[in-house]
Amino acid sequence: MTFSLARPSTIVEALRLLADDTEGPTAPLAGGTDLLLDLDDGRSTARRLVSLDKLPWKTLAWDGPRLNVGATLPLARLGSDATVRARLPGLSEGVDAVGSLALRHRATLGGNLGRAAPASDLLPILLAVDATVRLVGTAGRRELPVARFLRGSRQVDLAKDELIESVSIPEARLSTYVWQRVRPANDVSQVGVAVARSGSSASWRLALGGVLPVPTRIPEAEVHLTEERPRPEDVELAANAAATHARFVTDKRASEAYRRRLVATLVRRAVARAQIPPGER
Amino acid sequence: MTRSDAALKLRGGAEYGIDLEAPGMVHAVLVPAPVAAGALRSVDLAAARRAPGVVAAIGPADLAALLPHGGDPDRPVFPSTRILYRNQPVAAVAAETLAEARAAARLVRVDVEATPPLVDIEDRYPDWPTGLASDAPGVVAHVHARHGNLDAAFASAEFVHREVYRTSGIEHVALEPHACLAEVRDGHWRVRTTTQTPFGAREDAAEILGIPAESLEVEGTWVGGGFGSKGAAFLEPYALVLAAASGRPVRLAFGYRDEFFQGRSTLPAVIRLETSVRDGTITGRRVRLLLDTGSSLPGRDFATGYAIGFLLGPYRIPAFEVEGYAIQTNKPPFGPHRAPFAPQCVFAIDSHTDGLARRLGVDPVEFRLRHVWQAGDRTAFGQEVGPFGAIAGLERARTTVAEWRRTLPPGTGIGVGVGFWSTSTGAGGEVRLRLTPAELVIEQAEHEIGSGSIVRGLVAVAERLFGLPTERLRVVTTSTARDPYDSGVFGSRTVAALGRAIEAAGTAMLARLAERAKAKGTATLTVQDGKLAVGIGARSIPLSELLSAEELRDGLVVEGRHYGRSGAIDPSRVVEGSFYAYTDFTAAVHVAAVTVDRETGSVKVLRYAAFQDVGTTIDAGMFRGQVEGGVVMGLGSALTEETLWDPDGRMRNPGLLDYRIPTIAEVPEIEAVAIEGFPGAGPFGMKGLGEPPIIPVPAAVANAVADATGARVLELPLTPERVARALMVD
Ligand SMILES: Cc1cc2nc3c(=O)[nH]c(=O)nc-3n(C[C@H](O)[C@H](O)[C@H](O)COP(=O)(O)OP(=O)(O)OC[C@H]3O[C@@H](n4cnc5c(N)ncnc54)[C@H](O)[C@@H]3O)c2cc1C
Repeated sequence: MTFSLARPSTIVEALRLLADDTEGPTAPLAGGTDLLLDLDDGRSTARRLVSLDKLPWKTLAWDGPRLNVGATLPLARLGSDATVRARLPGLSEGVDAVGSLALRHRATLGGNLGRAAPASDLLPILLAVDATVRLVGTAGRRELPVARFLRGSRQVDLAKDELIESVSIPEARLSTYVWQRVRPANDVSQVGVAVARSGSSASWRLALGGVLPVPTRIPEAEVHLTEERPRPEDVELAANAAATHARFVTDKRASEAYRRRLVATLVRRAVARAQIPPGER
Repeated sequence: MTRSDAALKLRGGAEYGIDLEAPGMVHAVLVPAPVAAGALRSVDLAAARRAPGVVAAIGPADLAALLPHGGDPDRPVFPSTRILYRNQPVAAVAAETLAEARAAARLVRVDVEATPPLVDIEDRYPDWPTGLASDAPGVVAHVHARHGNLDAAFASAEFVHREVYRTSGIEHVALEPHACLAEVRDGHWRVRTTTQTPFGAREDAAEILGIPAESLEVEGTWVGGGFGSKGAAFLEPYALVLAAASGRPVRLAFGYRDEFFQGRSTLPAVIRLETSVRDGTITGRRVRLLLDTGSSLPGRDFATGYAIGFLLGPYRIPAFEVEGYAIQTNKPPFGPHRAPFAPQCVFAIDSHTDGLARRLGVDPVEFRLRHVWQAGDRTAFGQEVGPFGAIAGLERARTTVAEWRRTLPPGTGIGVGVGFWSTSTGAGGEVRLRLTPAELVIEQAEHEIGSGSIVRGLVAVAERLFGLPTERLRVVTTSTARDPYDSGVFGSRTVAALGRAIEAAGTAMLARLAERAKAKGTATLTVQDGKLAVGIGARSIPLSELLSAEELRDGLVVEGRHYGRSGAIDPSRVVEGSFYAYTDFTAAVHVAAVTVDRETGSVKVLRYAAFQDVGTTIDAGMFRGQVEGGVVMGLGSALTEETLWDPDGRMRNPGLLDYRIPTIAEVPEIEAVAIEGFPGAGPFGMKGLGEPPIIPVPAAVANAVADATGARVLELPLTPERVARALMVD
């Protein structure tokens, strides 16, 4: 694996470098926790990496009820923010689930979105809290919901000369993220379940990870979760709908049957847990 | 505990195999077979030879010219007719840079007429081989033994407990990959390598290459973990032939993925157990073992007969019949992994024993106490059992179980596992002691592999033997050209066997010194005025009075050896194949406490206690290190570690993301307790400690899961999915 590394200090320069293929395929580099392994395995053919390290995106800011997270903020800093944990507990729990603390000091939200892995622990909760992705490119800025940004397994709606600048979440949400793995630490989730309830509308969002091609919301389950405190029989209907409607496969990490069983269990647990105040979980 | 290697390693100064360099060195890459089975039609090296930087590219056809005697026909360096496993090296390339070697290796065209591989032993034998088993297809070893009247035991039994267990393939996951640096000059073959067995590697490599062992020199490096993976020759023959072909020093090092693709370790097994019971006592047992030995060759199987011993002990069984079959598959050859097959067999037998006790309504610890060996009993193969700490360990375990039942939350499952082992001092060794006024040097062949056996274990033995302070003792290792012979670091034998050799050399040295001092009494070593001296009674004699001028400069040299003897097995019990006798009897009694998530199947280990029969503790820090390390490694086999294979023979999880060793987050508090007073084969009656602490771990965890849930998981590892499935069935 050989590559050259550019470290632009402005967005304009970064975009210019990304658009320039004369040195071979180019890719943005954030924490590198996915990209360097992909290069090593030959899954990425990039020959020039454009480091985003010097761009002013290691930010965390509240704009009224809205939270904006810069694309290159290390996940460890997002995870240790007490306000985020109080107002968007599911996001903090998603971050806690990613690898190990050492890894989270490097890994970023932008990178997780950029990779768009089926088993991502962050995409389900981003879907459940109605997060949007803010992109900046040579052609200008645009913003789109995470569900639209994710186009397929490891495929995203991102032009060559475009970068994820930040992620935006409209408001505080009662929320949680729960997962199951063979080994609790530093493993890939077999299934992840995120739920969130909007304070204003009392309607729930439910999204799953570990599904193909990418984490996704399950409207068939959400329709059963309309009350502020859903009744047990509705939770049961939601759990079964989620288990039925998700696209699961059998792979080396779990069988399809086990995944479906896990989903039902984890949906029940998630809905119950989301109703517990963050400090008491 | 003082470890002389600690500071060096912390500062990064220790040279491992991967660090080896030499002027003019070139880099080697092995060319892997593209399929797991088939007839090799041709290996075309023309394009690779023309590639930039390439200094040598060799395949099967080149061996004859490079190896004066052609090499071992059974184990050619490169296969010339049949591919035995995917990624089997079929050619090798050396180039000026690693990148050039890799690029050239990709240009080698390997033409194979693929045939369907055999990957799963149960595909070949869904039940068990029948007929003349040794001739059954794919059977590379068949062992069979019996004793007593099993038919009568089964006929008069109240019930026969029947179960089939399955165990997984596991890898060593030593931190340091295999690596070596070879040179061939004027008929002198030399390789520097990371090895647990410099002499073993020399003999093995010489045999593979068909050269006299004396013309090959093996020089070890610091070893970054072995666990059995760095025993026999592995990369050395490839590097040596490339060195012969290129005339250059050749470096060959694995990446971590290669470790998985080429790993020679424990492979899956199927174990069928039938045990008859009457009046609350075991009266008979039938065992069938089907063992995957990968592409191991016929006649090279030690595992089958060895494994079977673990399925018949450490409990009294009046009548039995056992049969074991080693089945060849299209995987890398099996190889030893810390206590080869013992954790797997003990998982089966001690889960089975635990289940038997529960079925009888007897406390599992009491049930074991009823049957477990003690000194004077006979093993299934008729060997008399020596001092054995199992009863003492079980009594401690009983107290721990009772205490945990009182203190741990309701719903916690508590399980016990009992393993046994033997210190393999039958694999002997020699040492050379060199005494100067400044220090006593222990010259011997082994390199430190991380356990502390060499840098600390041998020193601890010498401290105790001679009463000298640590700083007056030094262990020195050079190469097979100078060092005294030793069998290797394996089988929990290193400190015990070399310690006994030190003891022998020390006794001879002290006798010689006493003789020179014309003393009646025995001599000791002391420190007098900052120098080593000889003590005779109350007298202290400076070495200058007893050693010649030459000896004062080069040291007084005395050699010692120890080739341990094991007991005998009763040959009338053996029908076919080899079974093994033990040099001593080491017990390991473990207790695990777990909680089980009944919906997801996740198992969390809360507490762990290991009661370890050691004979004598020679160093408390090493004791703790080996027991904790063994338990952690065993937790991996118990809960998460397994190699996965596609039907086409491709490994599905060749990396540390999906081959899951425990992280520190999964490791509970481990209580490590020494059981002393049951002497073994080593000096001061010490018993080997490298392997015993891993053996009962999967059994203890599985029994704790059964205690928590009432469900028995019959397959390793106990992943959440397997536990959840067992809970659904129940
Ligand atoms: C040991 C280990 C454990 C892990 N455990 C988990 C886990 O538990 N859960 C989980 O979800 N993930 C896990 N991961 C995956 C990984 O750490 C996360 O996906 C992480 O968030 C990636 O962020 P990064 O900054 O390192 O991305 P990088 O590797 O730098 O980039 C990933 C991809 O996104 C692109 N990219 C990065 N930033 C941007 C941007 N701003 N704009 C556009 N494209 C961009 C890159 O070009 C690349 O294609 C693990 C990885 C490892 C090595």
